[in-house]
Parts: sequence; C-alpha cells; structure tokens
Amino acid sequence: MKTKKNFNLGSLISANSVPILFVIICAVMIPLSGLPANYLLNEVVTRLGRNTFLILSLLIPIMAGMGLNFGMTLGAMAGEMALIMVADWQIWGIPGLVLATILSIPLSILLGLLCGSILNRAKGREMITSYFIAFFMNGVYQLIVLYMMGSIIPIMHSTLKLPRGYGIRNTVSLLQMRQSLDNALAVSINGVKIPFLTLIIIALACLFIVWFRRTKLGQDMRAVGQDMNVARDAGIDVDRTRLISIVMSTVFASFGMIIYLQNMGNFPTYQAHTNIGMFCIAALLVGGASVDKASIRNVFLGVILFHTMFIVAPAAGGKITGDSMIGEYFRVFMSYGVITVALVMYEAKKRKENRTMGQQLANEQKAEEEGKTA
Amino acid sequence: MKTKTRSWIIRSAFVLVLVLLAVLMLRIGRGHTIYFDNRALEYQGATTAAPYKITVIVNGEQISKLYEKERCSVTNIGDKLELTVEVMQQKGGSETTSVYSLKVPHDLDGVIINLPGYMAGLPEEAYLEEFIPAPSTEKDDEAPPTTDDIGLGEV
Repeated sequence: MKTKKNFNLGSLISANSVPILFVIICAVMIPLSGLPANYLLNEVVTRLGRNTFLILSLLIPIMAGMGLNFGMTLGAMAGEMALIMVADWQIWGIPGLVLATILSIPLSILLGLLCGSILNRAKGREMITSYFIAFFMNGVYQLIVLYMMGSIIPIMHSTLKLPRGYGIRNTVSLLQMRQSLDNALAVSINGVKIPFLTLIIIALACLFIVWFRRTKLGQDMRAVGQDMNVARDAGIDVDRTRLISIVMSTVFASFGMIIYLQNMGNFPTYQAHTNIGMFCIAALLVGGASVDKASIRNVFLGVILFHTMFIVAPAAGGKITGDSMIGEYFRVFMSYGVITVALVMYEAKKRKENRTMGQQLANEQKAEEEGKTA
Repeated sequence: MKTKTRSWIIRSAFVLVLVLLAVLMLRIGRGHTIYFDNRALEYQGATTAAPYKITVIVNGEQISKLYEKERCSVTNIGDKLELTVEVMQQKGGSETTSVYSLKVPHDLDGVIINLPGYMAGLPEEAYLEEFIPAPSTEKDDEAPPTTDDIGLGEV
C-alpha cells in the first residue's frame, strides 16, 4: 500500500543543505567574478566531461555500504601506468586511449582485489583504511615508476626517462592523445564546445550503473549495504560482494583517470593521482550524496556546482580582496570542509539512529514489563 | 556445472576480444613523425635533382610548400598515409599533381622521406632514413621527488 508523504520544506532543505549552500555560493560568486557566460559554460562542460566518469566510480562501493572509496586512487594509478606504457609505445589518438584502457583493466583488477581484501578485514572502518591504502600504494607506485620503469620494465624513449637512464620524468606528455576523445564528434554551440563522444561514454556508464543495480549482484550489494548480517543470513557471500564492488570501482576509476588525463594533455607523474580521490569525493558530497547514499543525480549536480565554484572562486576572490589567492584558499577550504562535514553528519546520523533504536527497545521492554505486572 | 562452464567460456571470450582489440590498436594506432625533404639525392652514382617547389598534402591536408633544400614534418597515426604532391620543376613553370600511398616502417618513430628520390621511384633504402633526434644537452636537473613528506627536514 502506498502512503502519501507530506511535503515538508524544512526536511527538504535539511536533506539538501550542502547543494543549496553551494548554489548560493555560486549565485553570489558568478556575478562577482565577472567571467563571461560563454567562458563559464565552456569550462563547466569541459569539466563535466573530464571528471564525471571518475566520480561515477564512487557509486558502487557506496551501494555496497563501504562508504566513500578513497582507494579509487589505486585505479587512477593503474590508468596512469597504462598511459605511460602507451606513450612509450607511441600509440597515439583514440587507439592509444583504447589500448591504455585495456592495459589498465588487469592492473586495476589486481589493485582492486588487494584493496577489497584488506577492506574486508577492516569492516566498519573502510574509509580510513582505503585512505591509507592509497598512501601505501602511492609508495609502491613510486617504486615502480621511479626505479623499475626503464630498468626492469623496458622504456624505450628518452623523452619519458629521467636523464639518469631509469625512472619516468616528472611530467609525461600526452600531446598526441590530447583531447582526442573530446574532439571526436565534438559540436560547438554558440562557442561552447560539447565533447559529444565523452558524454556518450559517460551516459553509457550511467546506464550500466542503472542496469547493474537491477541485477542479482546489484541487489546483493544493496542488501549488503543495508545490513551485512541480514545479507549473510539470506545466503549472500558478503565478502565476495564487497570485493567485487571495490574491484569495479577501481576499474571504473582507471577508465575515469584516462578520460581525465586525455583532456589535460599531460600529467605530473608523481602527483596526478594524489588528490584525485579527495576532489571526486568532495564533488559527490556537494551534489547531495552522503556516505551511505549516492545517486547519478548527485554526481552531475556535484560536478556542476563544485567545478563552477572552482572556476569562479579565484576571480571572485580577486575582485573582492584584490588577491586571487584568497579564492584559491577558499576553494581548497571548501573541498576539505565539505568532506569533514559529511563525515561528521554521517556519524551524528548513525548515533541518532542507534539512540532512537535503543530508546524504542527500552520503551518496548518497559511496556512488556508493565503488561506482565498488570 | 553447465552454467559454470558457460560462464568460463564467456569470460575467456571476453578476455580474447580484449587481447585482439589491444593488438589491433597496437597496429592501427602507431604514431610516426614524418619529415619530407626537398633535396637532391645521390644514389649509386646517379643524382636525382630537387625541383623548384613541392606542395605537400597529406591525407587531404596541405602541410607545406617546400622549396629546394627545405624540410617539413607531419604526424601520422598508422603506418599508411595518402601523399599528394604538386610539383613545380622550374620557377614559373606548370604544376603536376601526383598521388601516392606511402607506407612507413612500423618500428620507426620518425622517418625522413626524400621526396625527389621517392617520386623518382628509387628503392626504400635510398629515399627513406630514420630520424634520430640530437642527444639532449640538458643537465640532469629533473630530480625525482625525494622530499621529506613528514616535514622533519634534516633532523
């Protein structure tokens, strides 16, 4: 039986407080920044194509109740390693990107399995664990890229290698792949470039997620996400389901990183992945997602709001204070702040739920005792 | 049991398709930088003279107008390219247009094509040579990141 929900403005505002706050920030900052509408729209569309796939990779672990996957950095590393290999083999354009995508699959599956099996041993503390796995794997990445590439893993081109003969240079040029995906089928409307092929790929990823939610495995993930014990009692292999969700997220993140980097045209070898998880998570949270609930709508809203703030903040900061660095500080502060607030809100919500359940249980026991004495 | 076998067949087929796709991308995506020279070429005692001007068009796009002793370059994805040349032998003379289907060796990153030699129908060893970039004279200043992340510095 369907129950009709009463419209409550207060609860609507409280449920969407973060997106509303960012809408207000953007609404104030856009006119202050003085940036032309065309430029702003162009930048937002570019960033939509560049970042959305990466953020989509966060949805599946949230569905499986594993929270915000800071371990997506591992997928980004896999994507970067694949791109280094492809750049060395001189495979250019879209074939280069397809090859990098294929190469990144086994790497990211391996890293996802590692991350997932560690997270299965740290149930309930997935976010902090995945955060530190990313740090740990950054060391392994540096070991591979800095010492093994060129010495053990063959690297042919001196343009990629450090002058000492092994290790990769601080910046890898992807000039011959730059925006090859974005420029294919691109259309320009009133000076705004729409990267049609990239958007089609993002749409396919969204359709995949929608389809996947309805599959048996998707349903299992949702059940695990709601209550692991109940899911286990229902015969679901909880550990395996959680492992698959992390592997899928890591593979998605590696694809996302390849899309991201082809748009940039080059990448800082040792730093490109370090903050990617943080900014993707911040964008998702700005879109109204929480640690235990996220949807495709949150991804798109988040990318638009978060990156609009990113574009206008330096200019607005410059106009208000005369120093564009203020805007830079503001956007960094907002990125980290929104993650902190989301984590605090999640904990507070969990505690409130536990308190309410405890209260309810106590009331039931009390009523039972009263019934007995009567 | 039957479902398990079918599942393994599907997985193997998927992996095989990915491997085949990767091989295909390796073939069709190989990038080359091609340098076109308009210089006289000596081969086995005979000299092929350079014309006054060659207009180089690659895959329908005009790259450059090469006068004698000039060079131009183009990047190409794949080993094959369609080369159209408009040749003017003498200053003020008429132009003749020829279309060629040029194949670049797969292993070479950069190749130099001597256009007069190529148009004269000389063998590949005469008109084609590998482009070897000059060794870098830059100092070893690109040190890998070995900074102290903890911020302790030298304790």
